[in-house]
Amino acid sequence: MHRIWIALLFMVTLSACGGGGGGGGGGGSTGPGPPQIPPPTEAEAGRLLAQATFGATDADIEQVRNSGIEPWIRSQISAPASTPTHRAFLEARLEELRQTTPTAQLSPDVFYDSWWRTAVNSPDQLRQRVAFAYSQIFVISVGSDVIDPRGAGSYYDMLTANAFGNYRDLLQAVTLHPMMGRYLTYLANQKEDAAGTRTPDENYAREVMQLMTIGLFQLNTDGTPKLDLNGRPIPAYTQADISGLARVFTGWSWYSPTPTNTTFFGGARDPDAVIRPMILYSQYHSTSQKSFLGVTIPASTTVDGPGDLKIALDTLFNHPNTGPFVSRQLIQRLVTSNPSPAYVQRVAGVFNNNGAGVRGDMAAVITAILMDPEARSASVASDPAYGKLREPVLRMTHMLRAFNSTSTSGKWQIRSTSANTSLGQSPLNASSVFNFWRPGYVPPATTALGGRGLAAPEFQIVNEVTNAGYVNTISQVVNSGLGVSNDVRLSTSNEILLAEKPDQLADRLNRLLLSGQMSAALRKRVIDSVSSYAVSSTDANQAAQARTNRVKAALLIVMTSPEYLVQK
Amino acid sequence: MRHSPASRRHFLKMMAATAPLGVAAPFALQMATLGSAAAQSAPTGYKALVCIFLFGGNDSHNMVLATDTDSWNRYFLARNTGNDPIALMPPGTPPAAVGSVSPVTARTVTRSTPEFLGGVLPITPQTPNPIPAGTVASTRTFGMHPAMAPLVQGAASPWNAGRLAVVANVGPLITPTTKSQYVARSVPLPLNLMSHNDQQSIWQSGAAEGAQRGWGGLMADTMLAQNGSNSVFTAVSANGNAVFLSGGTAVQYQISTAAQPAIQPTAAVASTLYGSAVAAQALSESIRDTSGLSLFAQDHAAMTRRAMDSAQALNSAFATTAAAAIPAPTAYVNPVTGLVEANTLATQLMTVARSVAAAPVLGVTRQVFFVGLGGFDTHDLQNPTHTNLLGKVAHAMAYFDGVLGSVGGLNMRGAVTTFTMSDFSRTFSSNGDGTDHAWGGHQFIMGGAVRGRDMFGQFPTVGIDRTGFSNPNMSGNILVPTTSVYQLGATLGKWLGLTDAELLTIFPNLANFSRRDLGFMV
Repeated sequence: MHRIWIALLFMVTLSACGGGGGGGGGGGSTGPGPPQIPPPTEAEAGRLLAQATFGATDADIEQVRNSGIEPWIRSQISAPASTPTHRAFLEARLEELRQTTPTAQLSPDVFYDSWWRTAVNSPDQLRQRVAFAYSQIFVISVGSDVIDPRGAGSYYDMLTANAFGNYRDLLQAVTLHPMMGRYLTYLANQKEDAAGTRTPDENYAREVMQLMTIGLFQLNTDGTPKLDLNGRPIPAYTQADISGLARVFTGWSWYSPTPTNTTFFGGARDPDAVIRPMILYSQYHSTSQKSFLGVTIPASTTVDGPGDLKIALDTLFNHPNTGPFVSRQLIQRLVTSNPSPAYVQRVAGVFNNNGAGVRGDMAAVITAILMDPEARSASVASDPAYGKLREPVLRMTHMLRAFNSTSTSGKWQIRSTSANTSLGQSPLNASSVFNFWRPGYVPPATTALGGRGLAAPEFQIVNEVTNAGYVNTISQVVNSGLGVSNDVRLSTSNEILLAEKPDQLADRLNRLLLSGQMSAALRKRVIDSVSSYAVSSTDANQAAQARTNRVKAALLIVMTSPEYLVQK
Repeated sequence: MRHSPASRRHFLKMMAATAPLGVAAPFALQMATLGSAAAQSAPTGYKALVCIFLFGGNDSHNMVLATDTDSWNRYFLARNTGNDPIALMPPGTPPAAVGSVSPVTARTVTRSTPEFLGGVLPITPQTPNPIPAGTVASTRTFGMHPAMAPLVQGAASPWNAGRLAVVANVGPLITPTTKSQYVARSVPLPLNLMSHNDQQSIWQSGAAEGAQRGWGGLMADTMLAQNGSNSVFTAVSANGNAVFLSGGTAVQYQISTAAQPAIQPTAAVASTLYGSAVAAQALSESIRDTSGLSLFAQDHAAMTRRAMDSAQALNSAFATTAAAAIPAPTAYVNPVTGLVEANTLATQLMTVARSVAAAPVLGVTRQVFFVGLGGFDTHDLQNPTHTNLLGKVAHAMAYFDGVLGSVGGLNMRGAVTTFTMSDFSRTFSSNGDGTDHAWGGHQFIMGGAVRGRDMFGQFPTVGIDRTGFSNPNMSGNILVPTTSVYQLGATLGKWLGLTDAELLTIFPNLANFSRRDLGFMV
């Protein structure tokens, strides 16, 4: 069944390529040959863009309609990472800051600015959205004391560069990045001592398994846990596996052109140590036996840090859990909180083998996630349990993109949005390696979702206070803007043109924000509200103000509506 | 059908309460009397539990320490090692000046090394803690981390005033579990031991990630009726969503440490939106419209509805004299840097104190609160990090104890019981400059109704197995708990007024433990 679907995808690809997006091809062709694929509707394009970008724009919708869904995905995958990189942006800002204050240091705020600039403006939207998803699996927090903002920029660039590469390469780049080394404390991790008193730091050994590759329980390919005879899930590893694997992650520390014991512990720091992969300091790398997950690296008299690392990462990458574990989380980040086991199985199958015998091909995995019937079918999406709560920062990127926002300073000085009176979330700033929320978070039993036992990860950071904060924040953006001195502002000239055509204005917001899913009740609220502002036919100033108020009210009502908050 | 009187600990506790063991016993009685007196003076029998969650796994080996020679030597051997040794200094060690060479360790002192802080602060539980197997000592003595002075120094400090107790070596257990049973996996064990998210969840709810009901929320279920029309304020968090507060019917309510934010553009706050009453009304209705098809939309709207319905009532209750008179915490100084920094835990507890003060206005008589502090996952940089965190805990708890002494002129200490929880404690040995995930650890209970200045549960033998020494309490460098979270929770629940039957429903595995009341509440 899975193979049939792949074959179908392949045909879609061919026909859409050949067709060039010409309209009207869908109607009842009866002749032989490949089926005619009608171009996506606006609603279909909008749904894809909600899953695959930081928010739909007019241009995006047209592009998807013209090219077709699968070719659009392919062109996004082949598009290079946009520039400037975060690192380049941060370095330029630092240089600029130091012109006025020679001792200036970068703060996390500058990373946030860089992130918003990229998310809102970059053409490589799918790559950026996938990198954002990775930043919630391979979690570091730029707000942490041990994280250097420039290092964080380089870390995020690494996630972006590897978005459509191989998961094995991504895993290695993450593992050797000094910011992950710092965040999970295995940078400058020493081998055990001879007396057996001191043991290596186990932090990364534990979390790379629990959070980034295999998870806690042995899994079926469909992501469901395997059960023992008593119906209990079977642990994927034990404490002994963690202790064994921890020995692999010893001896790695800061890059230095002239490594010494001092540089191992962070002294005499090379200026680029925060952005260059960690290096091995042989004298601190364990040579004793390392046993984990059924693999044993025997004790050795010679140090082989890279060899040990290869065995460890190969073992994690090739573990049967990794495909379903990673696939399920990516589906949750992009499409829906509660994917069916069959959906996970189809995607995990592609992770395990992209059709050409390659495991971990993330371009194929992302394509499989987005092209799956469970992602594309409107009838599947009509299920009340389908979809996900939109992440607070993704609501804001969407609004900024849909309404052609610009930064007055050009620096996108949006700063932190972490306060619970703001968005309650800033990119790359989860409170721990467990991310902003857990993939298995189930709301309380007193809720509609929780009563049915459904997961809703994003609900873990919303509450009475953040909900009020969100409405107030949207109101602020609609009124004046976002960031330092309202640096980032919406441009609603296209909407103002429709201010006196309330139904058309509602339709436009439906198209841009709701993928054509606006309910009749919301549409009526928008139209009634918009119509309640009288537009003078004699007083031009009053009329202009009234038109502005009409658009502001419409934006506010739609952006805060419960139905907008669900991506489905 | 209550706890087994045959328990040795219980026997010792009874001795302490009835027999004149030095000065300790009369003092205990005195404090017990004070505690109940305070409770009686509280209006309408108000009672509240306050959970302080220390996120990340608090290294309680460096919070409460056994200082008898045998225990101390094993401790120092395990921790006075690595590139940044984390062993605290023995009691009585004076603080060493920065740049000086410590006479204890012969190392040069910096602001972040333990030598700078001086020795652990001696504490003497009024009930002698039994000497466990494996420990060679005639008396067990104890100390607390030097950054926790606000809790233990001065006659008015919570410990010395008899309002602070330690529960030793407590952790998630399904059934009483020995070291050998743990090693052999011969009894049922909690799921995913040593995993942060799961152990946070298990401490709060008894179940791993995905759990939907916590014991604070289940206790709140039994109290909703007593709280009348404002029962929405029964289970209150000042620290984001916590499964601890979710019940079968009780819903966690999030409180802001500032004023409860009103939703500005809605009709409830401003009668018009950009001049239109119609639009303001439409917005107010839209954001709390629970009739959408999507379950996600329904739940979000229900939460917003709660926010809109309650913010005004809460804000006006907070504006009453008693609540507004709760002073803000004094400035917190990081012992390592010497600099003032924010203490979010103290700010959260200020909000809780104001809620306690506002309770009579709201007509609320039973509450469960959740506050928290993160950063305890001290795999590295433990010295500066943990010292600062414990300093914050002590500062915040001492502040809270202080302000509860006068709430609208009433002493509310006896009506509010505060306790700590954490994911787990950490490995006994050092990894060079920090510690890793482990299991059992020590927790605090504080309040006027607490049998304070005492220790409950068996303080374990410490030290890693080596030739000639087998520690019955540690597997590798992990403490196997001797007291269950369920026992701790049930003791608190009983104080709150829950029946045995209710407690067994909330803590089904409590039935596996002979002792259902640890005795730390008066």
